[in-house]
Amino acid sequence: MTASRLIAEAVAQEGRYAQAIPMYGTERRGAPVTAYVRIDGRPVRRRDLVHEPDIVIVIDPILSGKPSVAAGLKSGGLLLLNLPKPPEEVEIGGDFLISTVDATTIALETLRRPITNTAILGAFSKVTGIAKLESLKEAILHRFPGEIGERNVEALRRAYKEVYPPKPAKGPLRPGEEEPPHVTGYGVLKSVADWRVFKPVVDLDRCISCRFCWIYCPETAISLVDEKPVIDYDKCKGCGICVHECPVKAIELMRETL
Amino acid sequence: MTLEVMVGNKAAATAAKLSRVQVAVAFPVTPQTTIVEYLNEFITSGEMDCEFINVEGELTAQVVVQTASRVGARTFCCTSGPGCLYMHHPMHDTSSLRLPVVMAVVHRGNKGMQPDHTDLMSHIMTGWMQWYAENNQEVLDTIVMAYRVAEDMRVRIPVAVGYDGYILSYTAEPVDVPEQEEVDDFLPPYKPKPSIMPEDLDLRRLRWWRTPWEEHHKAIVEAKEVIKEVNEEFAKRFGRGYGNGLVEEYRCEDAEAVVVAMGTIASTARDAIDRLRAEGKPIGLVKLKCLVPFPYEEFQRIGSEVDAVGMIDRNVCLGVGGVAYTLIRSAVYDLEERPRVLGFHAGLAGKEVKVSDVERMAEKTLKAARGERVSPLVEWI
Repeated sequence: MTASRLIAEAVAQEGRYAQAIPMYGTERRGAPVTAYVRIDGRPVRRRDLVHEPDIVIVIDPILSGKPSVAAGLKSGGLLLLNLPKPPEEVEIGGDFLISTVDATTIALETLRRPITNTAILGAFSKVTGIAKLESLKEAILHRFPGEIGERNVEALRRAYKEVYPPKPAKGPLRPGEEEPPHVTGYGVLKSVADWRVFKPVVDLDRCISCRFCWIYCPETAISLVDEKPVIDYDKCKGCGICVHECPVKAIELMRETL
Repeated sequence: MTLEVMVGNKAAATAAKLSRVQVAVAFPVTPQTTIVEYLNEFITSGEMDCEFINVEGELTAQVVVQTASRVGARTFCCTSGPGCLYMHHPMHDTSSLRLPVVMAVVHRGNKGMQPDHTDLMSHIMTGWMQWYAENNQEVLDTIVMAYRVAEDMRVRIPVAVGYDGYILSYTAEPVDVPEQEEVDDFLPPYKPKPSIMPEDLDLRRLRWWRTPWEEHHKAIVEAKEVIKEVNEEFAKRFGRGYGNGLVEEYRCEDAEAVVVAMGTIASTARDAIDRLRAEGKPIGLVKLKCLVPFPYEEFQRIGSEVDAVGMIDRNVCLGVGGVAYTLIRSAVYDLEERPRVLGFHAGLAGKEVKVSDVERMAEKTLKAARGERVSPLVEWI
């Protein structure tokens, strides 16, 4: 979201029009979301979402490896991924180019947090030339004044230098051959499994059927089968409230393996 | 003027600031919440000299703006979906007391969080004017114009400015922000009527001052002339007009058919019309900006110039039909040669409306204009 806003602000400084559309509902901070940007020489009027992008930027390292992120990408387009390996080693293939940058490492070293919004923009500027490094720097400093801004600019500059140049996508996996990743939307409508960092697991032998987890689950992800909780992992966002409420510690949070 | 990339909610808050709003009252509700945040940022930083009153709900929010407006403050309120519905009862009073309150309604449907126009349209009988904006620039400009129209002594009717939640509220795009002095020249300070100053206060009149139905209805209808006037003056001063203030015609010259759209669908429709015109298809767009008071005369003229009208409603009055569709059919009924009027329900509960969707609706309308059989007459997209 922030990245899309910064692109729009940077190109507006350069005299072009941009529209930055975030797609979200009641997501928590850090959950994967989709944002769209349109850039044009005249005011952008259409208000629908972007279904056939020229460029896809993936800032989440887990989603970066999934070929479905390139679904709809135009022929000859560019896929910019946050991955710690050169484009030749990416397993995604198709009629487009791939560029990679290890934005997570850059963010950890400059911001000391895995927030890759600004780092990825340096790579975007270098490989596309659509927004100048200088205007992105201005946009960042305008939004984050002071030391935080300076550190974000450092992330921007490092990614500008360290990005791997685009190479044709030659990997074996094609977009559209797997289910698209679940980003944005509500648990009742779509799976929110990709939001989880930790997963609650129930020890049924310890469970005393008190129903506390069932009552407190804010996503109604828990149902009772023979008086024992069954978690619907498509609905569970991994908030851990059930773990906290369980009086006999029958639910445990396990690190998700992806 | 300065060009700033901002979201629709910031455009609304900025308009309130530029209009020198003195009392702002709102209860936060998604997707309106960030207007409240921006207003409070402006007030805390000293950019805006305004009292923000925290309330426990929208019903109170409306009562407080009403009271503040009555004692002479320029007031601003903002809400969304369920919050908008919760303030229904005092909204009747605000208009009946002829208080020029301006309120931003960031559309949120009643069947989910995503937008449609059913929240504001549920208030069609409250005696508020209802204007709909298609982009962030129009959100800003319309709110500034709303104060000028609402406070005009010939009008004194509150205005609700609606814009689609999410699609505009959180979307950032460049907005031309006018200078404070320019807005000050355009918008003189507000004077309450009747005066509540002790020397000329008539308590009996103040307490029971309700506009009778017939007079109230006529006042809103007559506001159309003031809306046109103010829109024209705004266009002269700021270089941006919105049709005649009620409707805006886009590429309607020699059109055999027109589609009519409101809010962001009108914005998307412009691209669809450009594509169809490039293919040589004689079809135009009418943007319906002002739903209340309804521009009957404009639709009578447009109806007499084309052979078919296709109304795209982002609403449904359950069991009745599309609100604007019904009104347009009514408007053209007295014409000697009536156009065919088609209806479309699109974008309800935030359903995406693509350029290709509008193209298809426009082509169907053009077919109807050329005498071809089209079915169904009213379609759900």
